[in-house]
Amino acid sequence: MKKQISRMLLGLTILASSACTKIDNYPGPDASFEGNLISTEGGNLLTSQNSSQIRLEQISWSATPSPQEIPSKFDGTFKDSKLFKGKYKVIPKGGAFWPIYDTITVDINKGTKHDFTVTPYLLIKNFTATLNGTTLTLTYDIEAPISAGLPTILETQPFINTTKLVGAGASIRDYSDAYLKRINKEYVDMTDAEKTISIDVENMVPGRKFFARVGVRLNDSFKSYNFSDIIEIDIPKP
Amino acid sequence: MKRLHKLIIALSVTVGASITSCQRLDIPPTNIVGPDVIFGTEAGVTSFLANIYTGLPIEDFKYRPDGGFRTGGNDWENFYNSASVTGEEVGPFGGMDIGGGFGYWPYGDIRKVNILLDELPKHAAELTQVKVDQLIGEGHFLRAYYYFGLAKRYGGVPIIKVAQDPGAPLEELQVHRDKEEDVWNFIGEELDLGYQMMPETSPAGRANKYVAAALKSRAMLYAATIAKYGSVNFVDGPARAEGFVGIGADKANGFFTKAYDAAKLLEGHYSLYERNPDKLQNYIDLFLKTGDSPEAIFVKQYSILNQTAHSWDATMSPRYFTANALSRSYPTLDLVQLWGDLPVTNGDGTPKRFNDRAELMQGLEPRLLATVYFPGATLRGLTFDMQRGIYPSFSGTAAAEVAKPNNSRSFILSGDVKTLYQGKQIIGFTGPWTGGDELTRTGFYVRKYVDYNKPQASVDLNRSEQPWMDLRYAEVLLNRAEAAIELGNTGDALTDINLIRVRAGATPYASIDLEKVRKERRMELAFENHYYWDLKRWRTADIVLNNARFKGLMPYFVFNENKFIFLAEPELFQRNYNFDKRFYYEPIPGGELGKNPNLYPNNPNY
Repeated sequence: MKKQISRMLLGLTILASSACTKIDNYPGPDASFEGNLISTEGGNLLTSQNSSQIRLEQISWSATPSPQEIPSKFDGTFKDSKLFKGKYKVIPKGGAFWPIYDTITVDINKGTKHDFTVTPYLLIKNFTATLNGTTLTLTYDIEAPISAGLPTILETQPFINTTKLVGAGASIRDYSDAYLKRINKEYVDMTDAEKTISIDVENMVPGRKFFARVGVRLNDSFKSYNFSDIIEIDIPKP
Repeated sequence: MKRLHKLIIALSVTVGASITSCQRLDIPPTNIVGPDVIFGTEAGVTSFLANIYTGLPIEDFKYRPDGGFRTGGNDWENFYNSASVTGEEVGPFGGMDIGGGFGYWPYGDIRKVNILLDELPKHAAELTQVKVDQLIGEGHFLRAYYYFGLAKRYGGVPIIKVAQDPGAPLEELQVHRDKEEDVWNFIGEELDLGYQMMPETSPAGRANKYVAAALKSRAMLYAATIAKYGSVNFVDGPARAEGFVGIGADKANGFFTKAYDAAKLLEGHYSLYERNPDKLQNYIDLFLKTGDSPEAIFVKQYSILNQTAHSWDATMSPRYFTANALSRSYPTLDLVQLWGDLPVTNGDGTPKRFNDRAELMQGLEPRLLATVYFPGATLRGLTFDMQRGIYPSFSGTAAAEVAKPNNSRSFILSGDVKTLYQGKQIIGFTGPWTGGDELTRTGFYVRKYVDYNKPQASVDLNRSEQPWMDLRYAEVLLNRAEAAIELGNTGDALTDINLIRVRAGATPYASIDLEKVRKERRMELAFENHYYWDLKRWRTADIVLNNARFKGLMPYFVFNENKFIFLAEPELFQRNYNFDKRFYYEPIPGGELGKNPNLYPNNPNY
């Protein structure tokens, strides 16, 4: 009997000890990757919610991994702090900038930083907003750093929202999509007068604070927008 | 003596044992049907073929563009169709929910065809050489059909002509993609073989040589327009650079010619259905009397007995006309206006007053009335009494009224059909209504394919058996007209389109252009799951579905005048639709990419 018990104990000990020999010692997703989408024309590329992304493909394990994407923030920065350490192919995509075809390889570790430089399709210059009663007049000029081969310019419109997160897909329809202007022209065929745009947004609610910007949409693969910066507008009470 | 007995017993046992032990145990398993049984008799081949036919990617009543081809006994949600993302209808999809497809990858079915094509020549003795050749032709047609289902979704896919050996080394099994152009050419060649080898006629539901020609006209037209328009409007990426998606523009005319020639082969063998001199009834019958129709080229049949029936009748009309279930497919005013603006507004912009809703239908094209149920139409003895609400009185123009926000309009709406306004029902039994999903949000219902003869009590789920016309002669004429006009043959295009227009009860055109051909196609083939693919192959989906919103036609009762008015308003789901350019091709299914890295690069922007 005693012998049997001791044998059973021995067996259990062997099982228990062998069961614990393999521990998951692989590091968690503690690496991070952050940086800026720098415009060749100065400053960061201005984006909207998920209008540009950084695509990552981890090539540490497989030559054909499933891609993952980091959406850029409104100010043209991006950050993902829950990545696995390793070798990644990275590339910015989504527009509205001249497409980049060559990926670069980055060793992503804790606090890895990398800035991408992109050439925007269009710049929105001299963006001004003037308020006349409850009518907001937005004027701006568009200018292409490179005009040859630029995708067709489709349309332009204001984006107005009550928060500073304002852009395509984050705007009040009656103040934004309702004022869409169709252009549908090649940049090189546009006259100087057509490149200066003025939009009157009417019936803004008095006593409210709004955030406004304008965008120009191009017929590239993503039908992406180039945006202006965001301005704050207080509509005074009558 | 006893010993002798024992000896006899012992001997007989030994002999018995040795005799039985010599029986061969090594026999083919009797519970597995081998190739000799299947391919050695015509009945065996037919049952094997039935299996392949069942799997064909036919976009019928039950097809769900986000879920796949359904062949079961309870696939009743027939309103999940592609019409409800393209603006033909609004329905259950909240937006462009089907752009990514559902991961269609029918290589299991293609394997069956490959086995069929491999086995048949070995059984010429049992089946006769003539029969074997016909069946081989049918096999080529079936294989082309599957590849067509793949090519229109993914562009270039691996062409597998011989069943793979599961024991082969991995490198052989992990095949590469073929170029898109090669896949379309392969489909064309397969259908040529089908045309050459198959007989002139076939039982309903099976292919004959003209079915192959009809499918070829469709497939080659797809390839041609992808070549022509896809080389202008495209998404860049490695898959395009390597030719896995996209076809050179210089190939367009070749494909157009093939489409035209294939369509022409059917001339004289099929014709438009024109059995009833009443144009309206004729167009209704076209979709319900397919049995001996000269127009039905390839049909798919359904059976309650075999548990394959569909639910079109129970899901296209509201519960008011049926015994069960609900509807959720509502044709838009945008579709109806393809036939021209409805006469609902006077010259001064005020809404026209009608004594009865049904007056609206006066003078409209019979085909339109047979495609869509208008307010005032009748079904199974009941009236489509669409009424959005009541205006105690109405003044001003329609446009000014619709532009107002809802809370400053003077209409009276209701949350249910029971509420009355001064003794008058506020909303109709058939809507429009926003409280639930089962009543129209546009003021219209689908009429095409609805079996009006079915008694209401038997209009239930999985109880509809009317066949689906996958290929009909009107489509072949439209394919021919489109190919002809693209090739500059306007005379032929005009003849084809006018054949269709005369049958429809429309006035024939005096001249023709591409825009008219495409519009005719939309009108004739509405709700038949063509327009989604047409938008894609014309590469116009991202323009048509650019933050698109669609309209309905809302009937109101003006109380003080005792008249009806109709206002064109945004449809009541208030949805908007956006088509990403990358959706022109669907992504290669992730699971397949995981199994076979040679399928990379994936289609652009996925």
